[in-house]
Amino acid sequence: MIMSAPVTRTDDSETPAPVDEGLLVQRARRGDLEAYDELVRLHQERIYATIYHMTANHEDANDLAQESFIKAFQALKSFKGGSSFYTWLYRIAVNKTINFLKQRKNRTHMSLNDLDLKAEHDPDLMALISDKTPRREAGLTELQEKLNEALLKLSEPHRLVVVLHDVQGQSHEEIAKIMDCNIGTVRSRLFYARQQLQALLSDYLK
Amino acid sequence: MKENENNFESLRRLLVLKRHETPPPGYFNYFSRQVLQRIRAGDTGKSANWVEELFGQAPWLEKLLQAFNIKPVFASAFAGALCLLLFLGIIIVERPDLTSQPVLQAGTTTTSLAAVSPSLLQSVDQMGIVSSTNPVLSLQPVASLFGQQNSLAQPVSFSLPGN
Repeated sequence: MIMSAPVTRTDDSETPAPVDEGLLVQRARRGDLEAYDELVRLHQERIYATIYHMTANHEDANDLAQESFIKAFQALKSFKGGSSFYTWLYRIAVNKTINFLKQRKNRTHMSLNDLDLKAEHDPDLMALISDKTPRREAGLTELQEKLNEALLKLSEPHRLVVVLHDVQGQSHEEIAKIMDCNIGTVRSRLFYARQQLQALLSDYLK
Repeated sequence: MKENENNFESLRRLLVLKRHETPPPGYFNYFSRQVLQRIRAGDTGKSANWVEELFGQAPWLEKLLQAFNIKPVFASAFAGALCLLLFLGIIIVERPDLTSQPVLQAGTTTTSLAAVSPSLLQSVDQMGIVSSTNPVLSLQPVASLFGQQNSLAQPVSFSLPGN
């Protein structure tokens, strides 16, 4: 049995219609590409974002996200439904990304996406720049670069926990399922990763 | 401890910046179409990163190339060594083949054998043993295989104590 929950489309349509993910998965398993297209549209933004935040490179994230969806489609018949499709897809994307990063070690090249306009109006971020940052001349772009550099210095598992929890807002339980470890491990990795980041970004956080 | 919490709170607010990093406008409009096109084309996802696949299978190759990037002198030395190997290979191939020379050069072999052991030379003369650089062939008689009995075996007489 395939575990699924009704999910909401995340595209730009104004009236999001609930989609039965389990039904889409069943249809996609039978080779229905239209159903798989729906599944890709449902998860593309989160999968891309996770890979992008792990690699700090748009082109790599694009390739890896596409390859993750292709691999998932090819492996759909082996999907037993022990976890949700979303978790299963995440595992594929995360494993692919970590393998890629291990092979790419010491050949890091950042290709960062631009910040959207909302960033300049985010009160928390503006407060960080104007009040808490000793280097007040640091703009958002410089902060973005420093933050990404610091994230790249973390090990892949620690970076992944920070990305999934603090950037994407996923729960400890969900992260534990994705990373196939227990919640205690997730919590300890998150604490250690935050400590590391805090030390690396101390100039921007005091 | 509370200070740490506060610092983490600042860090978490800074990490919110990552949520504002967005791909180029319209990027997701074409994403699923590209995925489906690659699926229809039978793309296994390997071609895009064949270099990474290769490096994954042969990590030494990646290290070698990295060494070349770090110190170009390595690349020069490696290229020089390859040229030298190629040159030596050509010389060896072009050189007259030593093994094609006549196997038996009686004058030289008997002379050298005589210098080593005159008794062995005698037995060689009697038995018609061909000397050769090949150790397997060196003791094999060739004069006649069936006409006469050539044997290198010598009778052994044991004298047991008490007899």
